Amino acid sequence: MDLAVDIIKHGNSRQPERFEREKLHNSIVSACLAVRSPIGQAELIANNVCEAVIDWLQQRPEVTGQDIRTVTTRHLKNYHPDAAYLYEQHHMII
Amino acid sequence: MNIPSSLAIIALAALIHASFQLSVSVLTLLGSHALGTKQTPAKLLRLTTGFLIGAGIMTMLLISFTSLVLLHTFGTETPQIIWATGCGLLIGVAVSIWLFYYRRENGTTLWIPRSIATYLTKRIQSTKQSAEAFGLGLSSVIGEIIFIIAPLIISALVLIQLPPLWQLVGIGIYTLISSLSLIIVWVLIGSGHSISRIQHWRESNKHFLQFAAGAGLIVLGFFVYVNEILGSTVGGL
Repeated sequence: MDLAVDIIKHGNSRQPERFEREKLHNSIVSACLAVRSPIGQAELIANNVCEAVIDWLQQRPEVTGQDIRTVTTRHLKNYHPDAAYLYEQHHMII
Repeated sequence: MNIPSSLAIIALAALIHASFQLSVSVLTLLGSHALGTKQTPAKLLRLTTGFLIGAGIMTMLLISFTSLVLLHTFGTETPQIIWATGCGLLIGVAVSIWLFYYRRENGTTLWIPRSIATYLTKRIQSTKQSAEAFGLGLSSVIGEIIFIIAPLIISALVLIQLPPLWQLVGIGIYTLISSLSLIIVWVLIGSGHSISRIQHWRESNKHFLQFAAGAGLIVLGFFVYVNEILGSTVGGL
């Protein structure tokens, strides 16, 4: 179930979005697969990291996209540093 | 200018072109996206190969088109003012690269218009076919035209002074050498190397690449100036 947390997007010009666990999960799985992790391991890591991020979000009604990225990277680093690096860099490659 | 010197200038200009990073960034992101969306290794190879061929063909078209325009405008005897302008352009682009090439933040974010970067990122995310990757390769070369224009013009000025057969050789040399960095990343992705290690290397060495590209342009500008302006002036006295 998704939390009632609004994500403020970069630049303030875009409408806030409701937090979606599935979207976060998919982005973590993609980062793990991009560093050639097996799909099962990627799913497991994504589940664990999503739980940790949701815990962190419990007391916060509004966060920025960058906050989510920072917290996700911090937790992902514990499971897969390479994937965490790529997750963090994804918006900074071009 | 004799043929070996001309080809050496073209090779150096192409090497400087190869040190520019937009196409490499796009290829890295394309590889990352393809792997992240569970594409098969064969599909990954088709996409990255399509991109590589697209970037190579656009480079070849640009150098050929620039040469054609310069040949029609000036003939094979280029006025010295054009050589001097070309050298000035090299120095100007070199200083710009030292000052602005990378944005002052983490990662390898380039100082290109953000609209182009956003467009390329969206195109990468929706690239599913080799033909789309080919188009992306064409676009990525156009995206960094403000930086590659200087080595491109100097190479074209040198090319039009060569005999026709050597012009083709020069175009081939420029295209091959300017694609070297892409070929290396293509081989690394295709042979199973981690995208994060490739990106980590790029991020760690970005200031060196920035310095090398700027310094290369200065050296090229100085060499062409001495050879074409001073050489003919002093030699003509």
